[in-house]
Amino acid sequence: MTEPSQAVDISKFKPETVYTIYIAASPERVWEALTSAEFSRRYFYGFAVEADLRAGGDFIVRAPDGSEHISGEVIVCEPPHRLTITWDVNWPGLVEALGRTLVTYEIEAAGEAVRLTMTEAHERPLSDDILSGGRQGWPTILSSLKSLLETGKPLAVKTSPPARMLAALKALGVALPG
Amino acid sequence: MRVTSRLMHDKPADGSAVWRSRRTSQELTCNHLVAYRRPMDEVFKALADASRRALLDRLHARNGQTLTELCDGLAMTRQAVTKHLTILETANLVTTRRHGREKLHFLNPVPIHQIGERWIRKFERAKLTALGELKKRLEEGDD
Repeated sequence: MTEPSQAVDISKFKPETVYTIYIAASPERVWEALTSAEFSRRYFYGFAVEADLRAGGDFIVRAPDGSEHISGEVIVCEPPHRLTITWDVNWPGLVEALGRTLVTYEIEAAGEAVRLTMTEAHERPLSDDILSGGRQGWPTILSSLKSLLETGKPLAVKTSPPARMLAALKALGVALPG
Repeated sequence: MRVTSRLMHDKPADGSAVWRSRRTSQELTCNHLVAYRRPMDEVFKALADASRRALLDRLHARNGQTLTELCDGLAMTRQAVTKHLTILETANLVTTRRHGREKLHFLNPVPIHQIGERWIRKFERAKLTALGELKKRLEEGDD
């Protein structure tokens, strides 16, 4: 455990989306699955999590094409119970338009399972259209992570970003990839 | 006598202790029903009540509300709302987080997503989405 990074003031971020899932695995296994590329590629649409696990360390989510989808920073790192990272998507103009995003994973023992809670918090109030991206993606990612840890196989679910989110981003002047 | 019976209870007759010891270091149960069955009972019980579904609808319309906001305009007492929220939290359909001095309630759709994963086949999803959209468009057209 290290002191939180001074880069952001966590209290300024308001939780907007909170998802909880029970997983029959140890806290250490869930932590490993959340922080290692080998695991994340299997449940997170092929995206690789590359984390320097200390406050102030880099937190990269690399797209299958090798580009940095998210170039974040570790804010709080308390293995295997709490990880807070900045989660700013690298689309040109996105952070300027939306402000910054924080994601926190909390892992608590619950009998023989663990309770994993993901909180997405934002610096500025955002519309439901913008938030629909995370609200569509996280349940799939977390369910797939659960399946991978419990059965050895992820879920084969393919989703694309919701049209309402893309339209809202475009209206805010964010350049969309592709 | 009592000690003996407690010792016997420590070793369940169904062999679950043996099953536990056989689990791999990876903590795989290899049986998703073990982790699935009990929580799902709670989900269906929680959903089988119109007041609780109304609370979920309110959170779906606007996520992250305080108890006071959730009670506003409802024909339910604060105590009744609190009771329903506890049941929804137990079923993992609602999660709370503190933000400053406020306790915010969030809709947690993960258990409902898991119900979908269990009964909707992969190839059916696109068709169901298309049908859902069609129904929505036709109903909106009635206005």
